Amino acid sequence: MTTPSASATASPSPPGPGPGSSSAPARRRGHRAAAEARAGLLLSLPFVLLFAVFIAWPVLQSMFMSFTDMRISDIRSPFAVDFVGLDNYIAAFEDPVFRRSAVNTGVFVLIGVPLTITAGLAAALALDRGVTRLRGVFRVGFYTPVVTSIVAVAVVWRFLLRPDNGLVNTVLGWVGIDGPNWLGDERTALLSLIVMAVWRNFGTSMVIFLAGLQAVDQQLHEAAALDGASAWQRFLNVTLPSIRPTMLFVMVTTSIGYLQFFEEPFVMTQGGPLHATISASMYTYNQFGFGNYGVAGAMAYLTFIVIGIVTLAQFRLMREK
Amino acid sequence: MPELLKGFEKDNPDVTVEVTPIPWDSAHDKFTSAIAAGTAPDVAQVGSTWMAEFVSLDALEPTPENIATDDYFPGALESVTVEETVYGVPWYVETRVVFYRKDIAEEVGITEPPTDWEGLFEMARAMQGGPEGEWGIALQPGGDGSWQTVLPLFWSNGGDVVTEAGDEFTFASAENEEALAYYQSYFTEGVSDPAPPEGATEQDFVSGAVPMFISGPWMMAAVESVGGEGFADKYGVFVMPEKETSASFLGGANIGVFQGSQNRDAAWKLIEHLSRPEVQVAWFEQVGDLPALQSAWEDEAVASNEKFEVFHTQLGNAFAPPTIATWEQVAAKLDAQIEQVCKQDLDPAAALESVQSDAQGIGTGA
Repeated sequence: MTTPSASATASPSPPGPGPGSSSAPARRRGHRAAAEARAGLLLSLPFVLLFAVFIAWPVLQSMFMSFTDMRISDIRSPFAVDFVGLDNYIAAFEDPVFRRSAVNTGVFVLIGVPLTITAGLAAALALDRGVTRLRGVFRVGFYTPVVTSIVAVAVVWRFLLRPDNGLVNTVLGWVGIDGPNWLGDERTALLSLIVMAVWRNFGTSMVIFLAGLQAVDQQLHEAAALDGASAWQRFLNVTLPSIRPTMLFVMVTTSIGYLQFFEEPFVMTQGGPLHATISASMYTYNQFGFGNYGVAGAMAYLTFIVIGIVTLAQFRLMREK
Repeated sequence: MPELLKGFEKDNPDVTVEVTPIPWDSAHDKFTSAIAAGTAPDVAQVGSTWMAEFVSLDALEPTPENIATDDYFPGALESVTVEETVYGVPWYVETRVVFYRKDIAEEVGITEPPTDWEGLFEMARAMQGGPEGEWGIALQPGGDGSWQTVLPLFWSNGGDVVTEAGDEFTFASAENEEALAYYQSYFTEGVSDPAPPEGATEQDFVSGAVPMFISGPWMMAAVESVGGEGFADKYGVFVMPEKETSASFLGGANIGVFQGSQNRDAAWKLIEHLSRPEVQVAWFEQVGDLPALQSAWEDEAVASNEKFEVFHTQLGNAFAPPTIATWEQVAAKLDAQIEQVCKQDLDPAAALESVQSDAQGIGTGA
């Protein structure tokens, strides 16, 4: 990594004009381009530096860490640790709790992502066409959960889901159903968190879908309507193909978000009961907390690899269609 | 805290003390990163379960000879002792006792608090039949921190989780198994709720739905604020029931000096000041944390409340968790097994075997 001053003075003389361009205006253009390039470099340096120091270096360091037996007690001499190869990765696979956390995360993604996208798209469609006057109110209403602090959300949801006098079970009681202890029962805890996460996140995809929908060419709709296409047919054959890039974007970002599922179990259930809600990233966090940096690093990279595969698969899928 | 420092600053005009409050939740992470970066403070309040970890990081200074350590509660002194060396001093302590509703107990004909394991179980069962009584006693069915209730039962039965020297785990023993089976019986017999709602202990205690629980001194203020005027007379506390002994969990915080401190001498002087009985009593009056010094308990402010007297008795028989660097990690494994014992009827012996092998895999960090 060069220092700012070094790279700023690295090219004292701009590169000479290429062969066959010896005319004066061309040379001046060359000067100008070089000066612009230099200015650009200089302007991007703070970002490059910050990126290198705070992102690239830690990423490399944690990758190195995942192949060593580093513990918290090694923290002051990170290069004195022993190289253990893939041991940490094997240990992660052999850890029953980590396997459980991977399954939980998978369930969360497989149920949560489609629900979030469907809800987001449905809300966006409704708002795109719906009653004009209340549109703003609904947009704000649906988006509010996204910007609300998870801790505030957690307090309210815990109250709603309380087994004895929570609102959910009270309402169920009116129709004669004895509601479960949503967060305390291992059969319903993960489901409860998924519902909460969908409620909290569909606003984000809604906003993006809204923008995508507004870019759909209305003439196509009109033409299809003239040809006698029903609303459903127009949605399938006009709207959906037109918003495919938006769809891909929402799918990828939502999946990544759900694969990193952390806050909901962290504040609501601490991974319990009986590990029913522990997620891969939460378990990784716990390992960091215990000072097992090597194992935690390996777990983080396993998550990273899965995210990479899922994202690539989605790009493939959307391109082939 | 600044109040307590006035006397110290008067005696030591050349020393300025800067106090930085840190929320307890983030304190552990803050300290470890500060230790790694070499920017730890001179003096700090250290959670009693972090001592061994910080010592293993070479972060704490041993306590110098001139600071007396003979007047602390034995369990508290144990919590600052790592491999026979004392680091820092205890600052405040807390221990757990049994809270019960006096009025409900009287209605079901119990006038004397029980003294042994069977008695506690019978009382919980009897109270369950009382008015409004849904459950007998609130016990944590596993999960974060449930080891704090279970470990005392091990101790009470003569068991322990590490050897005397602290270098080997001893989870799988007949004493521990019996204690865990006893804990399990509260759930299998339907006396305790295996899936209690979170944070409802105070309300359920005041309403009578769950008329007993085991907890620390901070719950006094908590239940009295929910219960309102006069509630203080409606409930009582008693020491943990005996099997071989009456044992309880000892928690709290210690104060220590970090290695590499630029102001070593002043730092120890400050600790000496803070560990005077009158300063400990002043701290108790301010925030209600129980003094770690036995002599501080002779003060009227502490001795006048008979409930504190129960805590005082219990403190004589309260123990700190093992001071090993990996304790938090081992405890998490124990918590997970306790949960299976309480909720899924896992055999206590199998659970302890599992913790034992997990713990051996983790090691003591020594």
